[in-house]
Amino acid sequence: MIEGSNMAECHPVGFRWVMKAKERGATIIHVDPRFTRTSAVADIHVPIRAGTDIAFLGGIVNYILTRDRYFHEYVVNYTNAPAIISEEFKDTEDFDGLFGGWDGEKGAYNRSTWMYEGVDPEAASGSREGPSGPVQKQPIQAAQNDRTLQHPRCVFQLLKRHFSRYTPEMVENVCGIPADLFLKVAETMCRNSGRERTSAFCYAVGWTQHSIGVQYIRTAAIIQLLLGNMGRPGGSIMALRGHASIQGSTDIPTLYNLLPGYLPMPKAKHDKDFDTYVRLNESPSGWWGEFRKYAVSLMKAYYGDKATKENGWCFDRMPMLTADHSHMNTVAAMADGDVKGYFVMGENPVVGSMNGPMQREGLRKLEWLVVRDLNLIETADFWRSAPEIERGEVKPEDIQTEVFFFPAAAHTEKDGSFTNTQRLLQWHHKAIPPPGDCQSELDFTYKLGLRLQELYADSTLERDKAIQDLTWTYPTEGPKNEIVAEAVLKEINGYTIADGQPVPGFTALKDDGSTVSGCWIYAGSYANGMNMTARRKPGSQQNAAAREWGWAWPADRRMLYNRASADPEGKPWSERKRYVWWDEDKKRWTGEDTPDFIVDRPPSYRPGPDARGKDTIAGMDPFIMQADGKGWLFAASGLEDGPFPTHYEPEESIVQNPLYGQQCNPSRMEWWRRDNPYHRAFADPRFPFMITTYRLTEHHTAGGMSRWLSWLSELQPEMFCEVSPELAALQGLKNGGWATIRTARAEIEARVLVSLRVRPIRIQGQVIHQIGLPYHWSSKGLVVGDSVNDLISFVGDPNVSIQESKALTAMIEAGRRSRHRTVVTSGPLVPAMDPQAWQRDLPAARHKPGSEHGFKAEESKESNA
Amino acid sequence: MGAKGFFTDTTICIGCKACEVACKQWNQLPDDGFALSGMSYDNTVALGASTWRHVAFIERPVPLSNQIADGFSWIFSSDVCKHCARAGCLESCPTGAIVRTEFDSVFVQSDICNGCGYCVVNCPFGVIDRREDDGRAWKCTLCYDRLKEDMTPACAKACPTASIQFGDLDELRQRAHQRVDHLHELGMNEAYLYGADKESQPGTEGLNAFFLLVDKPEVYNLPPDPVAPAKKVKESWISMGLAALGVAAVAFGAVLAAREGNGHG
Amino acid sequence: MVRTDGRDIDLSLGVLSGEGSHQHVESVDERIKQIEPKPWGQMPTLSQHDPTYYDRPMLKEPVWKIDIPVYYFLGGAAGAALALGAAAQLLGDKGLQKFGRNCHIIGIIGSTVGGGLLIHDLGRPERFLNMMRVFRPTSPMNVGAWILSGAAPLAIAAGLFSNRPGMWGWIGSAAGYGAGVFGLALAGYTGVLISNTAIPIYQQVRRLMPVLFLSSAAASAASILDIVFEDPRAHRITLIFGTAGRLAELATGFAIEREAGKVEQVARPLKTGVSGALWRTAEVLTVASLVLAVVPGKSTARRKWAGVFGALGSLALRLAVHYAGAASARDPRASFRQQRAGFGAAELGNG
Repeated sequence: MIEGSNMAECHPVGFRWVMKAKERGATIIHVDPRFTRTSAVADIHVPIRAGTDIAFLGGIVNYILTRDRYFHEYVVNYTNAPAIISEEFKDTEDFDGLFGGWDGEKGAYNRSTWMYEGVDPEAASGSREGPSGPVQKQPIQAAQNDRTLQHPRCVFQLLKRHFSRYTPEMVENVCGIPADLFLKVAETMCRNSGRERTSAFCYAVGWTQHSIGVQYIRTAAIIQLLLGNMGRPGGSIMALRGHASIQGSTDIPTLYNLLPGYLPMPKAKHDKDFDTYVRLNESPSGWWGEFRKYAVSLMKAYYGDKATKENGWCFDRMPMLTADHSHMNTVAAMADGDVKGYFVMGENPVVGSMNGPMQREGLRKLEWLVVRDLNLIETADFWRSAPEIERGEVKPEDIQTEVFFFPAAAHTEKDGSFTNTQRLLQWHHKAIPPPGDCQSELDFTYKLGLRLQELYADSTLERDKAIQDLTWTYPTEGPKNEIVAEAVLKEINGYTIADGQPVPGFTALKDDGSTVSGCWIYAGSYANGMNMTARRKPGSQQNAAAREWGWAWPADRRMLYNRASADPEGKPWSERKRYVWWDEDKKRWTGEDTPDFIVDRPPSYRPGPDARGKDTIAGMDPFIMQADGKGWLFAASGLEDGPFPTHYEPEESIVQNPLYGQQCNPSRMEWWRRDNPYHRAFADPRFPFMITTYRLTEHHTAGGMSRWLSWLSELQPEMFCEVSPELAALQGLKNGGWATIRTARAEIEARVLVSLRVRPIRIQGQVIHQIGLPYHWSSKGLVVGDSVNDLISFVGDPNVSIQESKALTAMIEAGRRSRHRTVVTSGPLVPAMDPQAWQRDLPAARHKPGSEHGFKAEESKESNA
Repeated sequence: MGAKGFFTDTTICIGCKACEVACKQWNQLPDDGFALSGMSYDNTVALGASTWRHVAFIERPVPLSNQIADGFSWIFSSDVCKHCARAGCLESCPTGAIVRTEFDSVFVQSDICNGCGYCVVNCPFGVIDRREDDGRAWKCTLCYDRLKEDMTPACAKACPTASIQFGDLDELRQRAHQRVDHLHELGMNEAYLYGADKESQPGTEGLNAFFLLVDKPEVYNLPPDPVAPAKKVKESWISMGLAALGVAAVAFGAVLAAREGNGHG
Repeated sequence: MVRTDGRDIDLSLGVLSGEGSHQHVESVDERIKQIEPKPWGQMPTLSQHDPTYYDRPMLKEPVWKIDIPVYYFLGGAAGAALALGAAAQLLGDKGLQKFGRNCHIIGIIGSTVGGGLLIHDLGRPERFLNMMRVFRPTSPMNVGAWILSGAAPLAIAAGLFSNRPGMWGWIGSAAGYGAGVFGLALAGYTGVLISNTAIPIYQQVRRLMPVLFLSSAAASAASILDIVFEDPRAHRITLIFGTAGRLAELATGFAIEREAGKVEQVARPLKTGVSGALWRTAEVLTVASLVLAVVPGKSTARRKWAGVFGALGSLALRLAVHYAGAASARDPRASFRQQRAGFGAAELGNG
């Protein structure tokens, strides 16, 4: 099931495996508002209204539960379906779309009522701070369970109740999918899941880029857990990324709130010292019980000999969060003049991120900007070639920002690894040296660090020790003294300090300061001094898991949670789908892949009452990163917007939420600013059509790597919009002609492609027209056009603050855009705040303090760090 | 060496155009200008002197028989020089620039071509063209330079789904027939082979780059019953011969009629 | 933003060595494709019974410029004149020697100027001698190159040496006969050349096209002789030769219309557009020329006008054929319908 993804267009090389599966008889289902190149080779195409996937997936959950199609043994043993939830918990069915625990003062949920009866388990990832201060933590064995799944407050029954109204008729009403088509899809999924067969989901940013995006994936996870597809070959959920190494960019993070290996970034308010930091983040049960070892090893990597147990491993040198410094917040702060400088490396935010006018406003207020890229992208050129400048609203002479542009080395000109969606690290070798002044990011950062250390060498200020004490010596090579990338990989892998030998895996890491590891999940990638990520044994010479190609984290496991491919006794659920199993003779787990389990823990193991940390993981708990070792149907903690996924409409929609009075995600992040005007929640007469944005195969994201190449540019030379014949007739659009698309944020023009691939959706007696917009174009390159993302507002998912670019409202008219229309970033056309803003929330959820800037509750606003 | 060619299975093409880019990049061809065609996602429009791979995109208001998509389908096909067994371009080339290689492909030697343009009008598929600012005729070389190094042509190498399959023609033909049979078993009766051999396409005596299609050839801009013109030229020569004799006869007659002693002095 | 030649290769970093890398590219800025997108309602793929690929041409249009139809005309007239000249040499009396010489002059001018036009129309004119690299009977153009290479020198030799005493005269006569034979081929092979193409209308009328060209050649030779030379002896010859030519031209023209009309779409270039207009004009001019020629009377002016119309008609005919070919190549339905009607490879079975 490919949904929220256009896999054939965006991952054509990976798609070859889908075609091979199809050749062997797999059924490919593609759910997408448009008929794309993926749909062209799929077996079933399901047209869905953009932004309603939770209703569709929830409908499948309902189908599974009401018709008893779930994999009973798997659900009872491997998920938290039997767990009994606190009796204070209230579901969206009780409050017309809100869960219990909404704190009007803070504008967020108080999640204490969303807990197992008597316990608060730590989430494996996601927001980890306690709801309010330190929490009494107990191992999970104290939780109450009903393995018959009948208790009215067990997760299973709560799930059933939560999705009880997601019937096929409701799916038709909300998503516009004919009920019989929906039933066919649901039946196909169910028939192809269970003991003998597995089904997989593939998703990409069509799911994540919504204000309720994380919950989309949660719903799919619930389906896969109910059907018993998780951790089994041919099953699970594949997250297709938007970039070649975006997985790597969260592993060794470029995210503001993570340290390498998904350790959370310390927070100034809570994490007073190292021990507090560890205490607040480790888990008494499950694998995160090992937290201290990873944290200490990381600090030793950063500060080397200077980090000792006595000084708390130099923890006080670390930068700490004082607020939500996510992208949108930072740009909003920039637009307010609160940010001095900005490094933009390998990104093009004025084209790729939402609300381009506001991005550029932010850039104009900086003191300095550094851009590193292959070409002179629009972000580096904002002072010269932006729409505002073209319109005459802003003059280059008035911009004070000092812009530095550094040419970057291409991927063929530098060593390094990519980490793809399967957590697979693959080493890329430098083929030729970078020309002229071009430099890799690694070398740039290294040399910058050297210069900073030199600059701060004589300082006596305490805070400058953060730079002075960093370990920053690496070997270099070549005529330009470029840093050796493999040396960095070795440091990331980790080594024992005494003998400098690389550690074989993260189990060898210690919390006494004798080991170093730059990223615990990557430990093992340089085992035995060999660059495991550079292994290239062809797949044709290996089994399906192909463990000698590259290296996957953690510990070279190709599929996570693969313990779940065997039953509670350790025998595979089916011989046909055997993957990992318990070898009774050798007393070890073995199989096609590295077992994702403690290798010598038998299936019969049950933890004692005093067990702590990873000893709490029973022999039949496959989901070892969870505190209770179970797959969570009910997410007791870790998510801001609910333990169960709920259908909410996008921030800007055409219709009211047919399921609940609460129109939108109550926890969504908003920015109520003059330069970020929102449309009405629904039925905005100025913007009566839906738009959705997406990619084409021929171009790459913001176009910085494709619109400068003739061979790609000629394949898709001009910005265009895709409309249905009905919409074209309605608005007088001609195939090959021009159209202007407008929101309150900006106005763009595009050529028109009239096509049957985009169909109007009919729901609730209304026709909703959708317009498709590929977002690759902007003002620089061989082929230029208007930037689509200028149309999108700042609105974010509360868990990961990702933008909502897949469903919003707009107006489309025939003809080219006016050259002189001013937009709301300046001038007299700034609209007043929408008096009907309350439409998005029930009265209980309306007050949201701090949303002028979008800071989450209880974060400090004095953020001038 | 054995005859090599392409079998293009359009049912697994995803329209990614990697073949177009790989071909241009390997052969270092210039671009063909930047203009939106309005023809679905096909902005390349046709094969030409600087475009040797062209992916066709056809949106049809009729379903594919093995697909559920509300009566709609979108089919793709990567078009290329067919390297015909009887090649119109080769047989008409007056300079001998177009030759058949040891791989049974049709190859234009660009150092000999003087741009007479006769091959251009002799291709029944409209593949080869003369580049105006260069003066010579160009077309797909079946990556002759790669074949000589025992490598796969760039397009086949780049195709992610193996829609473009390269290999020995006999083996490809066998595979193609099996594939068609398999598709028919699955209920996709509209699948058929185009140009697979001499029997099915007598006008060209088989294409070394043949296709599996799911609609009429015209839909893909392919001729339904192509002929290498040289196969029919004998009739023209005969006509010319007879007419020339006629002209000669009239010339004799006219001269005779004008001789002295025939009423004219 | 400065565009490169579409290869985007920095020559200081990489080397151009691909098969297409020595394709010469002129200034890139003018090479913007001109495509007129089709309105939605007219998308041909919406219709399953008359499909084309967005009405785009299936074949490539001929790359030949106006040099070529002019060459058909000049080469044709030259060839027919040489044939006449040879006939005069063989069967004529001494009084016709001047006539024979005039024929040779037309032959020389026509073949050399024609040859020059051909070379000029080549994409790489400096490589014209490559035509002589091979002798390929399957290629009318190659055969034609050899024919022209024979006809021109023979015509020159005939012109220079005919009617001289002694061995030179002998050589001149032989050259003259040779030129006559080559001349017939020269006048007719172009008809074979264009029939040997994939263009639907040429394919359809391939049995008639050489006849048309030879007829038109005869008519134009006679016309030019009438215009250029004042020779009372010649008049009778040109009258017979020209009338026969013009009649045959008209008759073959009608036969072509009928043959092409077997598939309605194929015959369209003869009825519409520039080619259709030229075709009609040629017919009218030829009829006028015919009438003016056969009306009795000794008016020199009338004879000259008959010649002018005849020559113009012949030229118009060649131009019509040339543009009709381009229009036919541009029309995908012409090829599709022609082949569906059984005029493609299906004809091969009929021998």
